[in-house]
Formats: sequence, C-alpha cells, structure tokens
Amino acid sequence: MEQVKITVALIIAIMLQWTLRNVAEPLMFVDFPLIIVVYAALQGNAIRALLYGCIAGIAVDALSGGLMGANGFSKTLIAYLVSEMVRRVYLDNLLLRIPVIAGACLIDDLVYYGMHRLLGQEMTVQPVPTIAYTLIGTTIAGTIIYLLLDSFFNERVRVRRSEYFKTRRQTRRRNPIRLGKRTRI
Amino acid sequence: MAERSQKEVWRLTPWLMIVLLLGNFMLMAFDAREIGTGQRMIRVWAQTIAHFVQAPVTTVSSAATGYFQSIVNLRNAQDENSMLQQRVQELEVQLKQSEDLEAENERLSSLLQLKEQSTYRVLPAKIIGRDASLWFDSMIINRGSLDGVQLNMPIVTNGGLVGRVTAVSPLTAQIDLITKDKSGLGGVIGQLGTSNALGVVGGSGKKELLEMRYVPGIIEVQVGEKVYTTGQDGIYPAGLRIGDIVEVKSGSATATHQILIQPSAQLHSMQEVGVLLYEPPPRPKFEETLPNAVKDEKKK
Repeated sequence: MEQVKITVALIIAIMLQWTLRNVAEPLMFVDFPLIIVVYAALQGNAIRALLYGCIAGIAVDALSGGLMGANGFSKTLIAYLVSEMVRRVYLDNLLLRIPVIAGACLIDDLVYYGMHRLLGQEMTVQPVPTIAYTLIGTTIAGTIIYLLLDSFFNERVRVRRSEYFKTRRQTRRRNPIRLGKRTRI
Repeated sequence: MAERSQKEVWRLTPWLMIVLLLGNFMLMAFDAREIGTGQRMIRVWAQTIAHFVQAPVTTVSSAATGYFQSIVNLRNAQDENSMLQQRVQELEVQLKQSEDLEAENERLSSLLQLKEQSTYRVLPAKIIGRDASLWFDSMIINRGSLDGVQLNMPIVTNGGLVGRVTAVSPLTAQIDLITKDKSGLGGVIGQLGTSNALGVVGGSGKKELLEMRYVPGIIEVQVGEKVYTTGQDGIYPAGLRIGDIVEVKSGSATATHQILIQPSAQLHSMQEVGVLLYEPPPRPKFEETLPNAVKDEKKK
C-alpha cells in the first residue's frame, strides 16, 4: 500500500515539477521528484528507491530540455547513496533528514551539471546561483513535505507521535468556596 | 528468511544501480550525439501525456493566478488611484493657471486692441483693489498721477465705459463705476448725430443696471439698442459705448421714457482697465462763470 502511495506522490511530484513553474517562477527551484525519491530511499527499500529514482529522472528529462537520462542518472545515484546511508545510519528523524535532503540536492545538481559538461552541453543559466537557490528551495520544501508525508503515510510515526503527546488527564478542581464551608456531621 | 532477502537486496542494489546508471548514461550519450534536435520518442510521448495534465492545471492555475493578481492589482490600483488623484489636482491647478493666463492674455490683447483703436491715449492699468464695503463700487488701479492719471479721466475696457477717476495718488487712483448712484453722464441712444434720443445715464439703484433719464417720450426706443456717450458732459469723450437697453417703460408726449441699460463692460469681473488720457475741451466762458464752476475752481 505504501508503495502505491509513494508512486502516486512521485507522479504528482513530476507533474508539479512541470506545471508549477507556470504558476510561480520561484517554484522552479524546488526539485519535487528528488524529494520523493529521497523519501522513498529513506524508507529502506533500496531497489524500489533506485527504480523510483531512475523513472522519475527520465520522466523529468522527458519533460525538460536537458539531456535525456541526465536526471535519471543523478537521481538513481542519489537513491542509491541515501539507501546506503539509511542502511548504516539511523535517519528516522526529521532533523537528520534535513541535511540528507540538502546533501542529496547538492549532489544531484552537481552530477546533473557535471554530466552535461562532460558531454559537451552548455547550460543556459549560471550554475552556482542555480544550485544555491535549488538547495535552499528543495531543503525547505523537502522538510515540509516530509512532515506531511509522515503524517499521512507513515503509520509508525503517527503511533509514536500519539504516544509522545497523549491527552492530559483532566483533574477536577475543587470549589474553593466550598472548602471553607462547615459541614454538619 | 526476511533477513536473507534483505541481504540479497543489499547485494543486488549496487548491480542494479550500475545497470541503471549505465542505461541512463547511454541515453545521455545517445542524446548528446545528436545536437541538432531534442526529438526523442520517449520525450514526445511523455510530453503528449503530460499535456493532458498540463492543460487543465494551466487553466486552473491561470484562473487562480488571475484572481489573486486582480486582488493585487486592485490594491495597486488603489495606490495608483490616490497618486493619480493627486496628479489630477496638480494638473487642475496648472490648468486653472493656464486658463487664467490665457484669459489675462485675452484681456490684455483686447486692451491693447482698444489702445490701438482708440483715438485717445490709453494707459493700461490693473485693478489692485476693490471697495472694502459692499455699499460702493469704487476700485483702485495701479496707476497714479506719476503715470499721468488725473481726476475725472474716463476708465474704459474693450467692452465699453467703466467709470471715471475720482481720486488720484502718485501711484494709484480710485475709480467710481458708472453704476454708482451719484454718477451721471450724457448718453445717446444710437449714433450721435443720427439720433436725437439724448439723456442722462446714471446709477439705477441696482448694481448691474444703469438708468437713462430725460429721454423724451415721443422718441421711439427699442430694447436692445445701444447707448453711447455724447461727450457733452465735459468728462467723457463722445462715442464710448455705455451699454444696451434691456428695459423700456415708454413715456408719452409729456412724460419721459424710463430706460434701463445693461453696461457693456463686465464691471464686476474685469481685472485690467484702460485710463483714457483724455482732457475735455475747455469750457466756454459763460460756463466758467456758473456757480458750480466757481466751486470747482475753489476746490482746486
């Protein structure tokens, strides 16, 4: 079931990546598919994460003007790296996920840019500002999206949160006026 | 069993990654080889499929963007409106100033024209003050005896006769309008020489109108006829236009007409006038011996 949810999320992310730029130009600096790929990788299933990364990357490439496979390459690599990291390090914490998504975004951009330069492609934008803005945008959006995805998808997190924030037992207050009242025995 | 499968997954993962990376790299290399075109079957299909999502999303997003944009525009329009209102006010002031300048130019041009047309020397003067009380119609002009203005000199505008100088200081002069109750001047209906409808024009008690008295009742007088000065009063030269007849109460063989005249000069809205540097011809000897003439001599 979780697999279906992440697949749907990935499709939505790809569509958002393609459409949101028309709505607001700054949203182009958020890499939605990468966020979902990293999220999938964080779930611990490496093979699934690799496939998600590859498919999402090729889909984005198909809808963009870059080299076909460049995003597929970088996102597959990211999925693998994050999966390997999850295998070794405990990352089931939002604060730890923030540097992961930031690092993933940075590596993704560098690999994407590097692959294009390697194959003799000239980029139309300045690499450093673009990478910087993407890093900021994707990290912020990723943090928010992980919070949302955790609350919707991750049953463990939901249970854990309900354990952390149990409803307080309501104690009944005694009426202070009645305290001073003499009662007949 | 589950742990083993997990181990298998971990074993498989690098290989799968290498395969996928190689596949992607081949795609890239293939794509980079043909620089001229980005046309790929996968790209065509992906974009065709995405179009079905893109089109409604674009429609909805443009509607939403348009809505919010309209709100933003409304806010901007509010600021712009206040700015433009301020600008309009400034422009209105400028327009008023230019209209005033234009009117002043027109008045001065007409005054200049009057000066050119007039057989007498005309000294242009500006009205710098009006009577402080409502009871009199005197005005102050910015010309005085240093400019050659003397007592009783006629004041005119392009429209016609205005009044006469009643007091002179070196730099200014006071003028009384012809509508003043006690003013009086000789007037003739129609052109002097062709008409014998002579009378005395003076104030009527109404600010805007003059009254012409002593016109014989047997002479036919029509509303709309023009009244000119006769030049026989010893103050005003002949032929100056006084005004138009607006009302006639016909007289008879024994009673005179009662005629009301609308002054042709815009007496209450004028800003520039001309002082006719006119000196009346000397009075005949017998007039000088009259009691009032002696009084005048004494005054001088």
